Amino acid sequence: MEARPAPSLQAQGITAGYGSVPVIVDVSIAVGPGEVVAIIGPNGAGKSTLLKTLVGILRLDSGRILLGADDVTGRAPEELARRGVGYVPQVNDIFEPLTVLENLEMGGYLLNAAQVRARVLEVGAVFPQLPPMLKRRADKLSGGERKMLAIARVLMLDPKVLILDEPTANLSPKLADGLLREHVKRLAGLGKAVLLVEQRARAALEIADWTSVLVSGSVRLEGRPADLLQRQDFEELFLGAGTELGVSDESNMEET
Amino acid sequence: MDLFVAAFGFGLVSMSVIAIAAVGFTMQFGITNMINLAYGEVMISSAYVAYYLNRAGFTIWFGMVAGALFGAVFSFLLNRILYAPFLRKGTSHLGMVIVSLAVSLMIANLLLPIVGYFPVSYQEDPGRLIRWGSIALTRDQFIIIGIAVVLMLAIHALLTYTRLGKAMRATAANPTLARNCGIPTQRVIDAVWLITGALCGLAGVVAALDSDSFAIANGATFLITVLAAAVLGGAGQPYGAMIGAVLIGMITELSAAAWSPQYKEVVAFGILVLVMVLRPQGLLAKRGALAAAG
Repeated sequence: MEARPAPSLQAQGITAGYGSVPVIVDVSIAVGPGEVVAIIGPNGAGKSTLLKTLVGILRLDSGRILLGADDVTGRAPEELARRGVGYVPQVNDIFEPLTVLENLEMGGYLLNAAQVRARVLEVGAVFPQLPPMLKRRADKLSGGERKMLAIARVLMLDPKVLILDEPTANLSPKLADGLLREHVKRLAGLGKAVLLVEQRARAALEIADWTSVLVSGSVRLEGRPADLLQRQDFEELFLGAGTELGVSDESNMEET
Repeated sequence: MDLFVAAFGFGLVSMSVIAIAAVGFTMQFGITNMINLAYGEVMISSAYVAYYLNRAGFTIWFGMVAGALFGAVFSFLLNRILYAPFLRKGTSHLGMVIVSLAVSLMIANLLLPIVGYFPVSYQEDPGRLIRWGSIALTRDQFIIIGIAVVLMLAIHALLTYTRLGKAMRATAANPTLARNCGIPTQRVIDAVWLITGALCGLAGVVAALDSDSFAIANGATFLITVLAAAVLGGAGQPYGAMIGAVLIGMITELSAAAWSPQYKEVVAFGILVLVMVLRPQGLLAKRGALAAAG
């Protein structure tokens, strides 16, 4: 069996939440370069809380976060961005009143003007739908275009680690599949460490190299997707939580 | 009829003064999410800084620069020392409005023993009267209009073409996402308080220059007019504030011609109440706070 790469980002036993109530407890995960790690689990399992903690939006109560060999526990979001951690939240993922180009420029805020221009061209090559709409206000974009802009914005800084929170939410199954297979998998192919939270569990399992199943704030199962699918308790965890593997494939759909 | 044409001329001056103040106020709110009711007191404090410099022999134009600098530093410190600690503790919007009201009263009462209650005026030759039909404005009034036009263009350029301006709009739209992009939002907010504070200070001096005299009590009346223009345009919208200033400036001057200049603030307040009833989101609300400038 192929060994996993050395982690670009890892959480070691982190506990975090809102106020004094922990939402995730003693969670450990890791993602290495070229790897897609999917975190799946029922609603309310703490998936988004985990990601917000990793990118410095939420303070953790205990545990450590390492970026490569560096301890970045408790670092501010802007510092983590500087150090190569890109984050696409599930909602509020773009600057709506700004144009597409301005969104990309803000994504590349830490670069100089010449670097921004060069990166806009490079990112435009990854998402060819975006260059023709650079002057358009971001709140005029469709769901699919919006999500591409959100990912493109993060790519402006060429991050080592890409953290995506339900990138296919509100997209049709066809668009969601395209985004996951065509773009997310390709980004991992470019050597980026991709940590993905996804409600479409089956689609996530198809592109992931490693999967962690989060239930009630704790990692209950983890392993290679093919191995997990062989396990009887894997589906039971979902079914027990009232969630099916193919969840939300038909809900909240939007076509471009 | 001539009276109303002349009032139109004064309206051009009034809208210029209000625009400088209202754009500063609305940017402060749009980006920092802070309704700063001490804004009028910072305006009047800056007007007094220019007054004392003027009395010491400096020209009012030097006083304007000094007033703008004073307003910038005063506003920056107000935020850093008083507002920011409350915001860090998670004080609600209503709580912050009350804090700013308290700050406003504190400034007024601290200022009173220093400047006194009685009105003062700048020692400044307003220049020759320039006539155009029934419109007659002084050189200083034309300069005030020119300053406002240049500042509005500068604000547009700042928000549309500069990295800082775009970062301000990004921070206004989504501060958490801005931080995730690596934007140092705290420094951006500091810059906002400095820039809007400078506009506030300058507006205070310009408003005082446009009046025959001014007194400590004018801080509150300045605030009403500024609030009316900002709310009319849509809170948090610099372009809305510019439109609001045009309307408020013109309507108050025309109403002064029709009734009495003493009712100017009453008319401004009346417009504020009407807007709150008929279109509380303001004229440009659909475009969203600090919308795409380009």
